[in-house]
Amino acid sequence: MKAVETKDLTKIYSSSFGKKKVQALVELNLDVESGLIFGLLGPNGAGKTTFIKLLLGITFPTAGNAKILEESLSNYSVKKKIGYLPENHKYPPYLKGGEVLKFFGKLSGMNGLDLDKKIDELLELVKLSQWKKTKVKAYSKGMMQRLGLAQALINDPELIFLDEPTDGVDPIGRKEIRDILVELKSRQKTIFLNSHLLSEVELITDRVGILNKGKLLREGTVKELTEKKEEYKIVIEGNAADLDSISFDNSFTRISDGSYSVKVADINELNKTIDQLRSRSILLKEIIPMKNTLEEMFISLITESEKNIK
Amino acid sequence: MNNIWITTWYTVREALARKVFLFFIGLSALAIIISAVVVNVLSDSALISGVTTQDNNIIFEEIAASIQLIIITPLASLCILLAIFSSASFVPHMLEKGNIDLLLSKPISRSQLLFGKFLGGLLVVLINVGFLIIGVWLVIAIRFSIYNFTFLSIILSVTFTFAVLYSIIVLFGVVTQGSILGMMAAYFIFLILSPLLYAGKVQFGELITSDFLKSVIDFFYYIVPKTSELMGQITMNLALGKGIIDWQPILTSLAFMFAAIGYAIFIFNKKDF
Repeated sequence: MKAVETKDLTKIYSSSFGKKKVQALVELNLDVESGLIFGLLGPNGAGKTTFIKLLLGITFPTAGNAKILEESLSNYSVKKKIGYLPENHKYPPYLKGGEVLKFFGKLSGMNGLDLDKKIDELLELVKLSQWKKTKVKAYSKGMMQRLGLAQALINDPELIFLDEPTDGVDPIGRKEIRDILVELKSRQKTIFLNSHLLSEVELITDRVGILNKGKLLREGTVKELTEKKEEYKIVIEGNAADLDSISFDNSFTRISDGSYSVKVADINELNKTIDQLRSRSILLKEIIPMKNTLEEMFISLITESEKNIK
Repeated sequence: MNNIWITTWYTVREALARKVFLFFIGLSALAIIISAVVVNVLSDSALISGVTTQDNNIIFEEIAASIQLIIITPLASLCILLAIFSSASFVPHMLEKGNIDLLLSKPISRSQLLFGKFLGGLLVVLINVGFLIIGVWLVIAIRFSIYNFTFLSIILSVTFTFAVLYSIIVLFGVVTQGSILGMMAAYFIFLILSPLLYAGKVQFGELITSDFLKSVIDFFYYIVPKTSELMGQITMNLALGKGIIDWQPILTSLAFMFAAIGYAIFIFNKKDF
């Protein structure tokens, strides 16, 4: 089942008199399968929040269409199965933590003892039980984020949209939120995550999309996106001079003593290189496909996209 | 329906939290106490002590209703002025970034959300006006042993007057996402435009000789809500048990209110946040 499905989704914001137009999303096509953690990455102003707002009916598309949980966006009752934590969310300051959850729980169609039980469970989960009866105006930024996460989970949603969920949360809190997300995934929930924190996204997401200036540049698993094509790290046993003295056709780059990277055209050439090394009695310890970090890949992709736009 | 009720109830909570509601109730309680003192003084005066309930029951009831009206009319007007001020920010607060995103992500339609907010504002004023009017009514009823229940119908006329003005506030709130313009428009209609048009059309209509001016006044008279008549003649007739003699001000104001709320919902349904 597809949790999110968009076809040529476009959003153009116009100023009051229509003179200035900003393309927030350009013909975006994206499918997200259920049960995954999907990370949408992009610099500020890339269109990540607009994308979520379009899916939730907070903003309306200029063109194209989208479905969530295989339902049209115009069917607002599908939101019973959705949780959302917006960026910079605000709660009525006169409500206490437990009351905030009660309000949003009721709006999500919950009631009675089930709701009370769920509130206690979630406050326990996000470690805010002792703050249940404290007004939210006294909460810190990190506590507000954790309450926001509890709010997003109040209706036991199938699909959860989280916009910068760890914003303002300390490293221990971030780890706790990551653990909650992984636990939710194990319960077959789909999580759609917008984040700037690439290292975090890399840790927990199954698939990643990269958005810049409203366009989806790439989409795939973290492994697919970070793999450097036909570049391998070769670690040898013994003196590096053994290898330095040999002249190869391939471009060998020394990484450190005994560790080299090699670029090859294909798998045959890699094997040929290994044969050459072995024929000189060089002992191979490791041959590992080279990878970028998500951050390196992200920066290079965005830089390239900026150049193309210019 | 449940969603509308939840939004309505939490709007009342918002009013309570802002101390607006408590301030209203406090002010009304003070007004009721002052009324009790004034009525006590009046009941001993020659005007009323000369009339006995047994001899002149109808006159006595009218005097009692007039006293109630004299006390309530300025207080109810003050109540509406304060209510406009205090309710003007309900919609803009709801539309603030970070708040509206969350509300719209829930399974509640935009129409329900805005209508619930509208009803919430009305409920706050209904409770407050009800408290004030029932309080003053009880003071006089107990003192003179006259229980004129028709007098209580003015709770509805005062709340309806506010409802019409509140629809303007809601409309401006949705369009501008602020409270100032809506508040200014409501005050302008309540304090200036409606009294002027009423005077131009009803009170001094015969003195105006220009046909063009008459047409202009007519046009605006029927479009603009008639808060002057709602709070004046209609409320007075209801208090004195005469019922509603002229339905036109009520129906045209009601039409205005539906149009304003309908248009506010239409815009809200199309708006990007």
